[in-house]
Parts: sequence; C-alpha cells; structure tokens
Amino acid sequence: MPIANMPKTEMPSGALVLLILRVLHSGPLHGYAIAQRIHVLSSEVLRVEEGSLYPALQRILLKGWVKSEWGTSETNRKVRFYRLTPAGRKQLDAELSDYDRVNEAIKSVLKTA
Amino acid sequence: MCELFRRLRYLLNRGRFDQELADDLEFHREMAARAGSALLGDAVRLREDARAAWGWTWIDRLGQDLRYAARMLWRSPGFTLTAIVMLAIGIGANVAAFGFLNLIVLRPLPVRDPDTLLRFERRAPEQYATDLPYAEMAFVRTHSTTLSAVLADHGTRLTLTGADKPISVHFVTANFFQELGTQPRLGRALDPLHDDTADAEPVVVLSHGFWLRQFGANPGVVGTTVYLNGKPATVAGVAAADFSGLSLSSPDLWTPLGAQPYFVEGSQLLTSLSGDPGVKMWGRLRSGVTPAIAEEELRSVVAAMRTQHPTDIWEHEMLESSPGGYAKIGGGSSRGLGTPGPDETLPVIGIIGALVLLILAVACANLGGLLLARGVARERELTIRAAVGAGRARLLRQLFTESLLLAFLGSAAGMVLAFLLLRTVMLATDAPPWLDPTPDWRVFAFALGIGVTAAMLFGLAPAWQVVRQRHRASLLRQSLIGAQVAASCVLLIVAGLLVRALDRATSAAPGFDHEHVIAVDPGLAEHGYAAGSAQTYLDALHARLGALPGIESVALTSTPPLGGRRSVSRPKSARRPVDIYINRVTPAFFSTLKIPILLGRNLQPGDSHGIVVSESFALGQWPGEDPLGQLFEGNTVVGIAGNARWVALQDPDAVEMYHLASADDVPSLVAMVRTSGSPESLAPLVAAAAKAIDPKIFPDVRLVKTSYAGKLRETEITALSVTILGMCALLLACLGIVGLVAYSVSQRTKEIGIRMALGASGSHVLSVVLRQLSRPVLVGLLLGIAGAAALSQVLRRELYGVSNLDPLAYAAAIGVFILTATLTALVPARRALRVDPLKALRYE
Repeated sequence: MPIANMPKTEMPSGALVLLILRVLHSGPLHGYAIAQRIHVLSSEVLRVEEGSLYPALQRILLKGWVKSEWGTSETNRKVRFYRLTPAGRKQLDAELSDYDRVNEAIKSVLKTA
Repeated sequence: MCELFRRLRYLLNRGRFDQELADDLEFHREMAARAGSALLGDAVRLREDARAAWGWTWIDRLGQDLRYAARMLWRSPGFTLTAIVMLAIGIGANVAAFGFLNLIVLRPLPVRDPDTLLRFERRAPEQYATDLPYAEMAFVRTHSTTLSAVLADHGTRLTLTGADKPISVHFVTANFFQELGTQPRLGRALDPLHDDTADAEPVVVLSHGFWLRQFGANPGVVGTTVYLNGKPATVAGVAAADFSGLSLSSPDLWTPLGAQPYFVEGSQLLTSLSGDPGVKMWGRLRSGVTPAIAEEELRSVVAAMRTQHPTDIWEHEMLESSPGGYAKIGGGSSRGLGTPGPDETLPVIGIIGALVLLILAVACANLGGLLLARGVARERELTIRAAVGAGRARLLRQLFTESLLLAFLGSAAGMVLAFLLLRTVMLATDAPPWLDPTPDWRVFAFALGIGVTAAMLFGLAPAWQVVRQRHRASLLRQSLIGAQVAASCVLLIVAGLLVRALDRATSAAPGFDHEHVIAVDPGLAEHGYAAGSAQTYLDALHARLGALPGIESVALTSTPPLGGRRSVSRPKSARRPVDIYINRVTPAFFSTLKIPILLGRNLQPGDSHGIVVSESFALGQWPGEDPLGQLFEGNTVVGIAGNARWVALQDPDAVEMYHLASADDVPSLVAMVRTSGSPESLAPLVAAAAKAIDPKIFPDVRLVKTSYAGKLRETEITALSVTILGMCALLLACLGIVGLVAYSVSQRTKEIGIRMALGASGSHVLSVVLRQLSRPVLVGLLLGIAGAAALSQVLRRELYGVSNLDPLAYAAAIGVFILTATLTALVPARRALRVDPLKALRYE
C-alpha cells in the first residue's frame, strides 16, 4: 500500500502548531504552502487537512506568534503569507526543547521497560 | 493582555478578517485542484470552524437567537403581553422597594463631599449617647488636627408668632451652610464671618418649604423681623429647595447655635456639661485621613478633656464615627446605660424585601407554567429544529434567550411602573423635594440583575423540560402551581394578620386612656430651671390647672405617652432579655391615665426604692411566684399595674416599670391633664395657664389622642400596602390556575368526550378536570402557612399587636384563597362540559 493512501492519523493540535512554527522558521509561506511543506518534509507521511490547518493558524495569529502579510503566489494571485514573529520564534524554541525532553523520556521508557 | 486586545480587533473588524479567511480557503482549494486532489467538505463549515478560534461565535449565535426570539414573541402577542404584565408587576414591586431603599439609605444627602463627613456619637463601655455636651464639641473643634471642620446641630421646637403650631428650629454652627456647600435661594446663609461673633445680630435662615408654606414664597421676606419665642430676629435668607441640612426632612428654619440662649431664655445648652440637652456633631475629614485615624485622635482629645472634667466626660469615652453624609432613619436623640439596641430598620427592610420577593416568585412560577404550556404548542417546531441538527444545548440556549428577552422587556416595564409608584408616593406624602425618584445607575443595575434572576427562575426549568420533550410530565407543572399558591398564601396571610392587628388596635384599648388626656410640656430644663425652681413652677401649675373647670386630675411624668421621648433599659440581670420602658411619675399618673393597679399598692411619696411594674413584666420575670416584694436591681416591687404601652404601641413584648419621680427628674417632667369632657376646648386654657406662671415659657401642648391617631395611621398604611401586594399575588395566582385548567381541558378533549359518551355526569367531568389541581394547591397551602408563621414572628415586634398565630387571619386568608382559586378554575373548566362527544371523538 502506498504511503500516501495510508489512513490518516489524527495529529494532536499541539504538534501541528509546532510543525507550522517550524516550517515558517525558514521564511514566510502561505497556507497551502505550509501544508505542502509539512507533507513533503515528512516524506509524505503527514497530511495536514485544511479543516485543522486554518483553525490552528487562526489560533497562532491570536497568540501573536505569526503575522500575516500580503504577497503574490506562484500562480500570481494576491494571498496572505504568514511570517514568524519574535514571540513565535521564542515559542518555537521553547516547544522544541520541550519536545526533545519528552521524546528522550519516552524513548528511555520504551528501551528499558 | 495582548491576546485579548487582538481578540477585540477580530471582533471589531470581523467582516474584513472573515473575507480574508474565505480568500485563504478559496486559494487553498484552487491549489489543491491544480495538484489534482479535489477537497471534500463544506467550505462554509470549514470557515466557521476556523473562525471559532477567535472566540466570538457566541455573539453571532446570540444575535441569531435574539432575532429568532423577537420574531417568536412578536408572532404571539397575547402570550407576550401577559408575560410582560406579570413580570412588570413582579419586577416593578422589587424595583420600587429597592428604589426607595436607594433614595433613603444608599444615596448620600445632597451636600458637598458627603463621603468625608463623619457623624460622631459618644460611646463608653458602660454608657452611650447620641448627643455631646456643647463644651465637648467645642473642645474637639479646638484640638482636633484630623478634622478640617466640626459641625453641630441642635434641633428643637419653638413658637413663631403668627404660626399656628410650634415650628421645628435647628440651631447650627455658623459654618454649617459653607461646609455643606449650599447656596441660599434668597439673601444669605449663615456664615462664620457674620454669625460667629459675640455681638452677632440674631438671624434666621428659612427652609425653602417653610418659606412656601408660611410666607407664601414672598421674595420680600429677607430683612424682615420674625418673633421666635417672642424674641425678634432678622430673616437673613432662604435656603435652596434641595437643602435639608443633615437630616432626611427639612426643619422650618436654621439659626446660629450661639443665639440659642437668646431665644430659649435661661437655657444652659452652651454651658452645661451634662450632655442633656446636647448637640449632634459631625466632622469633616482632612484629605488622606481615614475615619479610624480620626477616631483614634479624638479618643486622646476626649481623654485630655477628661483631666479637666473627670465626672462629665466618661471613663474610656470615645467618639464613635459613622458615615455622616447619609440620612439616618429615626435620627432622634437617645442616651442610656450599656450599649444601644440593635438598629430597628434592618428587620423592617428585611420584611419588605421578603414580601416583594414573594410577588416576584408568584410571577415567575406563573410564567414558568405558561412557558411549559407553550412548549407543547411548539413541539412540532422544536422537533424540526432538532431533526436538522440542533443539539440540546443549542435548543436550550434558544429557549432561554427568549426568556431573557422577555425578562428585559419585563424589567423595562417594571422600572416604569416602579418610577410611577414612587413618584405617586412622594407626591402623596409631601416628601422632601431633593428625594428624586428618577432611577440612577444603582436602580438600573438592580432592575437588570433581578430581570436576569427572574429569567433563570421562570425560564431554565421549563426550557430544560421542553428540550427533553418531557413537558407532559406534570411534576414541574404541579410544583410551579404549588409555589404560586404558597407564595400568594404567605402574602394573603400576612395581609390578614395586619388587618386584624389594625382592627384590634382601633377597637382595643392600649392599656391607658388616650381620649381625655392633654400633655403639657413646659420645657423647664431647656429654660435652665433647677430642681427647686422647677418644683415651684409645677406646684403653681398644678394649682392653676386644678382651679380650671372640667379638669379631673393632674399628674407628672418623665415619659408622656407617645410623646416622642423614651427611656429603655435592657438589663443583664433580667431573667430573660427584655426591653423595659422606664417611667418616672407622680402617684396620680395611674389614675390620670386610667391604668389599673392590679396587685399591691400605688407609689407613695417617699418610695425611693419602691417600683410598680406592669403585669407582663411580673409574669415574665417571676412566673408562678408572688411578684410583690421581689427585688429588681436594688428596687422592691410594691405594686403591679395593668399593661400600658405608652411608647412602644407596636411591640407586644414591651414591659413597663414605674419609679417615683425624684428631685433630679423634676425639670424635665411633663404634666398630664385629665379632662372630664372633650379635651380640645380645654387645651388653649391649659396652655395659657402654663404660660401665665412664667412668660418666658412656651409650653408644648398636645392631645394624646392626636398622637395616638398618628400612630394608628402608620399601621393602617402598612396594612393597606401589604393587602395590595397580597391582592396582586392572588390575581397572578388566579391567572396561573386559569391557564393550567384551560390547558388541561384542551389537552384532554378526547378523553372527556369518551367519558361523556359513556354517560359521565357533568359533575364527574368537572371533578376529573379539577382533581389534578388539588394536590399542588394543598401542598402550597401548607408551605404558605408555615412561611407566614415564620415571617409574622418578625412582624409581631415591628407592628402593633400582630399575633403570629391569629387563627382568624389564617382561616380568612386560606378561605379567600380557596374560594377565589375554585371560582377561577371553574371558568375554564366549564368548557369541558360543553365538549360535544361526537366532535371530540372525530377530532384527530
């Protein structure tokens, strides 16, 4: 069975926020590009549905971690690009170290138990 | 903080952000289509989900619900109107009661900076007094550094030449008007520059009301001379209409405290250190000073004064402060041993609050029943809404929004009703003009709060039942009827108790004869009489009065019946807590007022430690024992007199104790004169006799029966208002019963038709329809009786002779209720008899 057709696993919304912040770290992107980038970078394992992407983006906007700005898409259309703010950068760092810690902990449990 | 700010930005620019979100989603789909993966799902739904992150969805829903609710109410005007009228009565009664409280208690007096004004009263561990000796006030004024100004006020009644009765005069410090920040309507007010000097010319400032009444609003009155107690004084000015000093009702005129001995010849108000008579004192706090700091400072100031006057200033005396910028109900003077009794206005406010809340309870229970019945009619609509995907929570919110809308409309109508009611009361009782019944923010907030509370009371339970499609279950419906019955029953019973009490008050004697007695107060103490000269005066008065034809007897008393004075003791040594009203009298007092001596003997000259006590006093203190010869606080009981409530007409628990008047009491004694015929014609002769002995005396002559009638009128007004409340409740409860019966008849048309087709008689059909009412009505009645019994326990202390277990009042109230309820239930029930079996069976 091709990987892309595997049943989609629900991504916890916390993880989605982390991924969005991470892909925006390398530069502003529009919504569709965010989803695509996550899809591609995860070797097509993770698929971000618009039903979870846009609510998450709205939440991140409210938190002030990203800012929206007008830009032109590759299809020459005026669209919103999302850019990481300094607060977002800080949040990303915090979440990354958190993630690492938890990840290490889980791994060590899996190894020894 | 920042997030909240962004949230608000989203709310304010909702249209723009929504459009941007829609563009985002549309672009996403375009790109996905290019990539060859068509997206499923409803675009609008997606957008709503994303928007939910902003946290404003509830506003959109509320808007929807409100529009829908308004449409629903508009489509059934009959229901809406009934509901609003019910709520207006229920909420209006509460808003009016609160508005009144707000006017009198919560709102400050119309004076400058009311919050920095403090009232000071004397307190010591063993005694208390509301008034201070003038010298103490002056000492505090000189030495205090925490108070920027000290105000004093001494109210009394004086004779004004040309006025038909004694007028109310307030002697105030010259800074009174300046400190309270009022501008005179005409002329000038008192001021320290003119009126605080030793050779100041005697002047008076008229109150606005008195200027209208006595001088016909004549602007030329300023500069003219008036004669107060026969002494000339110049009218300096007229106070503003909204100024009443520091009391609730305005005095007739103000004049400087320094002029008091000039008007009241021989007065020692300014020199006496006894504090009786004294002045009421207010202080204005310097900025940054708290009342506690001022109290602490005054404690040491008073202690410093005590080193000079160790007997007149009490040990450990302090001046206790209370907010001074607010009117005090019952602002009279009192002094005594121990600590002052509890504030008597609180239980009254509590009773009024309980009664108006009962009305609201009836209205809410009623409306709850109506909403349930409406839920049945809307069954189809609700089923459809549920079928197209509305969840229970959504339906509940929708129904409750309707209730809220109704409650707001009811609150608005209730506020209008309350305003009209208050204004009518103000006009009818010639209240001071500065009491403005226009609602302020407190009243608005209260009306809003009570509206929301009402919506929860009448809306939540029925909405829940309707949503669960359980509205046919009759338990809630029956409890609602039961609650209405209970609440209106309490109101009716309390009204009945009051009416009975009034009836008893007018028919039964208060224990003394009030018809043929004149009270003559020569005010000897105020004119500086000492014990010896006062005795000479009273002997002369006795001789002159005895010589008048038609006078049967003359007695002296320290507390004339219903004369506004009182001396109460709450001794710790009593076997049970009791208010003892103390009177110092001459032996003729009992025969003059026709109070019988039941046991033992009357007081005799020389009885320095003998006392006569009232019958209920003896029964309470020495039940089952012989009261004669018992010791009470160092006195021996020599006689038992009949109960006679010469002060606390309204308190059936009050008891009396009589001492023989001693030499110290003589200057403050009042003569009681018993006439054989009508006292009206003799009153002027009595006054002339009292005046002829000493021309500087201006005796206060009153008919005891006039004071008595005034007391009764208070009870009458109370009984009338509670009766109106009770009738409102009864009306509401009847409406509820009619609604319930009509509804049940329409629901059971088919069943009734079958019964009739099978030959049921008319009375049988009626009993089937009415039977379901009997249980909630019975339970409600029982609850109501219990509630009324509890409430009247408090009432009996406040209102004359209310007996909390008066069987007639209970029976009458219950009878009226059952009769009205049955009659109103029969009106819709008769429709059941007109059911045509054929039609009923063919129906459906």
